[in-house]
Amino acid sequence: MKTKLLAIASVTGLAVALSGCGGGDSGGSDSTLTVTMWGGAAQKAHVDSYFTPWAEANGVTIKQDSPTDYAKIKAQVEAGKVTWGLTEVEPNFANTACESGLLEKLPQDIIDKAKASGVAEEQIGECAIPILQYSFTIAYNTKTFSGDHPKTWAEFFDTRRFPGKRGFWKYATGGMFEAALLADGVKPDELYPLDIDRAFKKLETIKKDIVFYDTGDQMTQMLASGEAPLVQAWSGRIYQARQEGEKVANEWNENLVSYDQIAVPKGYPNKELAFQWMRWFLDNPKAQAADADASIYGPASENALQYVSADVRKELPGHPANAEKAIGLVNYDYWAEHYDSVTERLNAWIAQ
Amino acid sequence: MTTVATDSSMDTMQGRPRPLRLPQWLRFDGWGALVLPLLLFLILIFVAPLVVMLSRSLTDPSLGLQNYRDLFANSVYLRVLGNTFLIATIVTAVTLALAYPYAYLMTLVGPTWRMIMLGLVLVPFWTSILVRSFALVLFLRDTGAFNATLQSLGVIDEPIPLIRTLPGVVFGMVQVALPFAVLPIFATMQNIDRRLLLAAESLGARPSGAFWRIFVPLSAPGVAAGLLLTFIQALGYYITPALLGGPKNMMIGELIVQQVSSVLRFGFAAALATLLLVTTLLLLLVASRFVDLQKHLMRQT
Amino acid sequence: MTKILTRTGLAVLAALIGVYLILPILIVVPMSFSDSSFLSFPPEKLSLRWFRNLVDDPVWLESAWASLKVALASSVCSVVLGVLAALALVRGRIPFRNTIIAVLLAPLIVPYVIIGLAAYIAFLQLGLTQTTLGFVLVHTCLAVPYVVINVVAGLVAVDRRLEMAAMSLGAGPVTTFFQVTLPLILPSVLAGGLFAFFTSWDEVVTAIFLSGPEVTTLPVQMWSGIRVQIDPTVAAISTLVLLVVFGSFLILGLTRLIRRLARRRVTGPATNTGA
Repeated sequence: MKTKLLAIASVTGLAVALSGCGGGDSGGSDSTLTVTMWGGAAQKAHVDSYFTPWAEANGVTIKQDSPTDYAKIKAQVEAGKVTWGLTEVEPNFANTACESGLLEKLPQDIIDKAKASGVAEEQIGECAIPILQYSFTIAYNTKTFSGDHPKTWAEFFDTRRFPGKRGFWKYATGGMFEAALLADGVKPDELYPLDIDRAFKKLETIKKDIVFYDTGDQMTQMLASGEAPLVQAWSGRIYQARQEGEKVANEWNENLVSYDQIAVPKGYPNKELAFQWMRWFLDNPKAQAADADASIYGPASENALQYVSADVRKELPGHPANAEKAIGLVNYDYWAEHYDSVTERLNAWIAQ
Repeated sequence: MTTVATDSSMDTMQGRPRPLRLPQWLRFDGWGALVLPLLLFLILIFVAPLVVMLSRSLTDPSLGLQNYRDLFANSVYLRVLGNTFLIATIVTAVTLALAYPYAYLMTLVGPTWRMIMLGLVLVPFWTSILVRSFALVLFLRDTGAFNATLQSLGVIDEPIPLIRTLPGVVFGMVQVALPFAVLPIFATMQNIDRRLLLAAESLGARPSGAFWRIFVPLSAPGVAAGLLLTFIQALGYYITPALLGGPKNMMIGELIVQQVSSVLRFGFAAALATLLLVTTLLLLLVASRFVDLQKHLMRQT
Repeated sequence: MTKILTRTGLAVLAALIGVYLILPILIVVPMSFSDSSFLSFPPEKLSLRWFRNLVDDPVWLESAWASLKVALASSVCSVVLGVLAALALVRGRIPFRNTIIAVLLAPLIVPYVIIGLAAYIAFLQLGLTQTTLGFVLVHTCLAVPYVVINVVAGLVAVDRRLEMAAMSLGAGPVTTFFQVTLPLILPSVLAGGLFAFFTSWDEVVTAIFLSGPEVTTLPVQMWSGIRVQIDPTVAAISTLVLLVVFGSFLILGLTRLIRRLARRRVTGPATNTGA
């Protein structure tokens, strides 16, 4: 009986394996475009809003992949077998990757078009244009801080006046160094280049109260449960949690604006198709606005803001009330240069 | 210690082809040659790409030992590596302490209960480690079900901090490792002839004596297998520790992933991986000298 | 007396361990019925929306099916290769024994991210990325040490004299293996096979490298959105998988029960032989 089972299992297994031998990469067909982003509901919103309409209008098949993995990009480019077309990346990666030849340089007309459509110039790279915006805000638990809550990073770092743990993104570009320096009294326009030593000294003062998160879920969990009633958070996620009934809220004062970009790995066979999409994207603020409504991420072009629904617009970094409270933009040129070394120092500091 | 005689004369007697005429030190006998399919498979699919990858530790970004020098210069890597071995040891000890009695009970009960106990061991497998780890976070955190129940029962006043602590990490990792220890131990125990114990008792031994001096040594191969599997596996965990542990419980796997996917220093990541591989193999070699693993695992001297 | 005490003590301990083992399940299943778009426990509002999502979005069932295929094929391959290797290790003479053992154990020790990247770089050139075959090749490597370690432990306990008796009665080595040895080591082989299956089923790190729009496995589907937000559908599909497995065991158990009952009725009380 048992040997029969084994035999059946092995035959099935082999048959299944042989039959499933299909697949293989197909980035080469003329009207296929592979889009890779961070996955999940956000990717669905992005694709539905500004990839599918363009693809349908132009007879292009969109293939989706997720999540973005920089090691895969590097491996693909080195091997000369690039399958990823439009890829959502972080700006410091885009900067370094552009310099080391991992990304296609954008045609000049796209860069000009981006500037013309109201994209902030600092956010445009040689190889990438912005795709969405968000802010690092002071997020607080509304139950713990029902009355008074920290309104500046200095107050955020004041554990005596506002006791409780502090949540930070375990990521060098997650805004903690900027927040620490601002809390220590550095003026916003003197922020970069960051004085990392000074930032670490400030972080050291609340080290025993710091809890780190790696993912958006952890961030919302720790804030909503009260484990860390104050978190340096991503604005959009906090708003979404609030809509679900969680007792959390954003404090927009001294918010730090950040963004993601979209780029094309070098050697992608259909790069012209990718560039075509970019031109369409920059010409279609309504599609960007639709994405903002669905994903609660700010649009890349400023002229798309007017099409975003009023409720959502209030939660975007581009909204005037939020923008005037902003400290400024995360400087990804600085981070392109210093990401590696600061990450090492962060690892060492955390492990102590 | 019986070994089937497989010298060439017996081969020709049974009509089997003689083994290849390789020099003595390179000779595989009939049984030994059975390792070749797996060996060749691994060399092609696993070893070759891996050697290329690990050699990047000496060539990427520049030729030489720079990566290794950086590694040893920055104490955080060595500290995290040491911490990884420590956590793995603790997890292995706890897992084995729980797995052995559980497997033993499985041999004592009737077939229905055995099925149920086996089922309980297999159930965790079917749930993704992502979901399991998140579920444990929700369970163990200060406002989670565990603390809430204890507080409502009046057992404790303040929540016990469990996540971001070593006990929390061990709790999570043992939960993952337990099935890997229970099954090999149970498989070996099943094959132990209970009549040996009865015979010992009839010869005057107390039941506990028979258990410790006959049953336990006979279950050693299964325990060794479980030990080996649990320990080596635990070295590679980083997802569960990342979700359940604190910054001080960081394991080397997390740093290697960081170097590969975030910092893109493939050569340095390769150096870290090589260090982990060499250290583990050395540890196994040393352990095998002490415990004579070979003798226990394979009855070869 | 002490026997009863130890037995009860064991039973209590085993019960606690049993609860410990299924603890995540007790949390995940209710979680899958929560209405919130965040993973939460206990669920505040109940709904079936995540199960509906499984039906609406085909990627979940497609990736589960891909995972199943890969896991089945990898476990079969690793069992075959691993059992052979275990026989060689326990019974044979192998040159460079320690080195070969190191090679056989290495997939367990080398971090999967390194294995994944190495395989990815190689497979890009061979066109094996995003193929089921590529997955099976890599996952077999990862799974094989589990089989080898388990089967070696099982082989060591086999009484060689049983085999020699069979051979002296005229059975060839292959027949002896299948009729005598294999049944004796079957628990270990099954354990190894199970580990191999689940190593592949739940493996995410190398899978992320090998996956793509053409072929994606379930863990990749679950993990892909983790940076921003975990899709609560992962809880739903976990519950569904558990239901399927539990259901099949139930059906298996019931069919056995029915067959046993039917047999009893057929061979019921003795009747006169003439009928």
